[in-house]
Amino acid sequence: MARALSVSDVLPAVREAAGARIRRWARNRQGPDADLTVLRPRRVYILPSGVGLVFGIMTFAMLLGSMNYNNNLSFLLTFLLVGLGFVSMHSCQRNLVGLEVSFAGVDPVFAGDKAVFAIALKNRSRAARLQIYLEDDGTTSETVDLLPGDSKLVQLPVDSHRRGQVHLPRFAVRTRYPFELFRAWAWLHMKLEGLVYPALPVQAIQPPASVTALGHRQHDARGEEDFAGLRKFHRGDSPRQVAWKAYARGGQLLTKRFSGADTSSQWFDFDEIPVADTEQRLSILCRWVVDADRRGEDYGLRLPGQTFVPAHGPAHRQNCLEALALFGLGPGPGSGHGDD
Amino acid sequence: MTERKARGTDGSLLDSLPWTLTALGVAVLVHLPHLPVWISAASILCAVYRLLIEKRRRPLPSVWFRGALALGCFLGVLATYDTISGVGPGTALLAVMAALKLLETRKRRDQFVLLFIAIFLAMSALLREQYLWSLPYMLLSLVVTMSAWLRMSAAPTQAPPQSVFAATRLIGYALPLALAMWIFFPRISSPFWSVPIDTSSGVTGLSDTMSPGDISSLSQSDAVAFRVRFDAAAPAPRDRYWRAIVLHRFNGRSWSGSDPALDTRYRERIRYLGEPVDYEVTLEATRNRWLMALDVAESWDQDSINMGRTQTLWRHQPVDQRMVYRVRSYPEYTIDETLSGFSRTWYLNLPEGRNPRTLQLAESMRRDAGSDRAFIAAVLQKFNREDFFYTLQPPALGRNPVDGFLFSTRQGFCEHYASAFAVLMRAAGIPARVVLGYQGGELNPLGDYLLVRQADAHAWTEVWLEGEGWQRIDPTAAVAPERIEAGRAGAMFAGVGAAWGLTTPARWRYQLGMTWDALNARWNELVLGYGPEGQQRLMLRLGLGDADWRTLLLTLLAIVIGLTAAVHGLLMLRHRPPAADRAKQLFESFTRKAGVEPARGESPLAYAARLVETRGRQGEAGDIVSLYLDVRYGSAGSEGLADLQSRVNAFRAGRAAL
Repeated sequence: MARALSVSDVLPAVREAAGARIRRWARNRQGPDADLTVLRPRRVYILPSGVGLVFGIMTFAMLLGSMNYNNNLSFLLTFLLVGLGFVSMHSCQRNLVGLEVSFAGVDPVFAGDKAVFAIALKNRSRAARLQIYLEDDGTTSETVDLLPGDSKLVQLPVDSHRRGQVHLPRFAVRTRYPFELFRAWAWLHMKLEGLVYPALPVQAIQPPASVTALGHRQHDARGEEDFAGLRKFHRGDSPRQVAWKAYARGGQLLTKRFSGADTSSQWFDFDEIPVADTEQRLSILCRWVVDADRRGEDYGLRLPGQTFVPAHGPAHRQNCLEALALFGLGPGPGSGHGDD
Repeated sequence: MTERKARGTDGSLLDSLPWTLTALGVAVLVHLPHLPVWISAASILCAVYRLLIEKRRRPLPSVWFRGALALGCFLGVLATYDTISGVGPGTALLAVMAALKLLETRKRRDQFVLLFIAIFLAMSALLREQYLWSLPYMLLSLVVTMSAWLRMSAAPTQAPPQSVFAATRLIGYALPLALAMWIFFPRISSPFWSVPIDTSSGVTGLSDTMSPGDISSLSQSDAVAFRVRFDAAAPAPRDRYWRAIVLHRFNGRSWSGSDPALDTRYRERIRYLGEPVDYEVTLEATRNRWLMALDVAESWDQDSINMGRTQTLWRHQPVDQRMVYRVRSYPEYTIDETLSGFSRTWYLNLPEGRNPRTLQLAESMRRDAGSDRAFIAAVLQKFNREDFFYTLQPPALGRNPVDGFLFSTRQGFCEHYASAFAVLMRAAGIPARVVLGYQGGELNPLGDYLLVRQADAHAWTEVWLEGEGWQRIDPTAAVAPERIEAGRAGAMFAGVGAAWGLTTPARWRYQLGMTWDALNARWNELVLGYGPEGQQRLMLRLGLGDADWRTLLLTLLAIVIGLTAAVHGLLMLRHRPPAADRAKQLFESFTRKAGVEPARGESPLAYAARLVETRGRQGEAGDIVSLYLDVRYGSAGSEGLADLQSRVNAFRAGRAAL
């Protein structure tokens, strides 16, 4: 059905386009930012807010009234408000200028969850900086007050759609303090990326039966009775199992092995999953890794071109999940935001 | 959103709503005496109700209830004032709006509207009256409003005193800007449109008719009518006749007929004689268009003032606010040396069948006197010799008040004497009219000005004599010469006033009152005197010459830019990094100059070692780094900082020279 375009249809589109243009202009003007950036005056933008516009109209009306009645006290009140407008504009801008913004990390997430980018704000001045918040494409963070010398972490959640990497190409530090008459902001273009593991299915097919070295069933708790020799230390081994005496003697980190300990070593093999779709396979593997890790079992991961020998511990888990996340993606841009 | 259930409030406004209510309360406080009681009561009720809602987490009243309330209040205002324009009804509407808005304020940000209303209320208070305390009151109101603003919009971490402090500080920054704008913003003399300031509250003063008892009702009013500052010495009390309006229509009881029609050729009708008197009048609001001038005005300083056909001054708009004007008057003059036949008949007109005994008396006295002059003298002598009394509490008079006064009561105030005299004159064939105005006034030695109160209101007469024109004759002077010779206040303190029914205040109270009045007069001059003319005078003194509005606006712009830059600098100073960080800045500028970025987490000492390793710069790098560490983390203090500064500067200069 053909329908005439109304203003309300066109206006958001126009605003969107104009906004994108302005953001591109700012990006080109400012260039990329370091992970730690101090906001300089020339990159802090400021515009009147809606309340500020109403305030402006009100003071103009008051000015007309004062002129009409030639009332000097009402002139003074009007000019005090106009002066407050100027002061609040400069105050608002100063609230941001000199603020130290740095990236404080982002934890990997499973696709579909929100990647929470932590941004550290540090106030290196003698005056408080109040009511500061972050914003990214309409998502706003909590609002923080920074007393002199304060440093606070502000979290900015970003949707992760697909496994790989989630990017935060741009975010804004914003404030409206004082009086909310003006809104000042600075755009930051840090190279922020977080890892996105494959989506975690709620239910997945059962993992393959574990191949136990000694042939008896898995123990829930690792047996530690029978010492079976030493092996090279892997990252993620418990410090309690490190042969500290051997380390003191030879300077090499060795892990004690117990006969009861190595009860199982499961292998999660990409090629053996009876599902056609690569992404689904990765998700299933992801589930298995997470579950095995939670149970504290050893597991190995076999991907085309990559193999992780059975082990356990957070580092092993992370290595496996990272491999799953980046499988087949190469070094190109990942999911999340499109670059602009 | 089909289901609109009444949601309970969540108590989130509890920390800001009391502040907003305080701001509104302060703003509406001065309006309370002028507002109808039902509005004040409704506003207070709404405020308390809203606070209870927030405290108990109850839902807000329904849309229907609020709508009905809004309509009711609007109609109520309309019924009370018959109009919604003007300061009185406007203020009432603002108060009602604030009360209603309160009942639908759910979010923090809704309170913006309430604070805007508070500001408008403060402004309308200033439009209503600019008292001496209006300035501190306005500043207080602004501080409270802006504090409430911060409570609403800003930090929950901010304690209430901090909000007040922050708001006061920001207003302090704005103050120089505001003063500059106040001084340089071009003032215009004529308003764009005329809206009555407040027609609802009454003003004591002269009215444009005169019946027996009208002026005596003013005689106890201490209210200020106007204040006068003379360029030279003030004329003697007996010459201080302040002409306001002239009445020439008599219906047997009251005089009326003041005529605002202007007379552009008044200079042909008035011959000014003798020495002029120049003075400045600060007139209180009268709600009338006529102005007071010393008998009789010759020229004045405002285009909106004109001479009327009976030698009185009229303004285009009613005097709704205190105003200042300058006049030159000539105490000696001749008005209308010739009188047309029509005018002559007009000024002789008397109603049929009223006051018959007076008419008979006039005829017989005129016959006995022989001439007009002798007749006038005989009438004045009659007032003086016979048992006529001058009193503030004259007895009531019947259907023929002049007869009643002349033949039975014989007790009257100026209006009785003026009316009776004019009637006698007309009955005897002498054109006569009544002049209303003020007579006398008290010189305030503290402020060196003349204070004229409503109690000084007076009525006298003018008669037209062949070859002499209109002559002022004050019959009151015949019966109570002290009233005219010494003035009302003079007669009061001379002990004469008591006989007329005047109560004499204690000396010290009178002097205290005069001191207070002098302060007020000074304030009025300051606040009111700065109009277009005052601004021109100041610009001349500032060396800006004959500044037109363009010059003024450009100067204003330059000053505002300068002051804004100063505010900017002040804010930068406030946000300057603490001393330790200054050291860090210096260190950073050193590393920038050295051309080697410190790695993240690298200690300054490790950095220094690396710098020496990579760049082979011995000595100075290590010195600077150790000094930096001492200043930042050690005890080197400000001296160390200065040392560091000079070393870094030297380093930078050295690098630049390489």
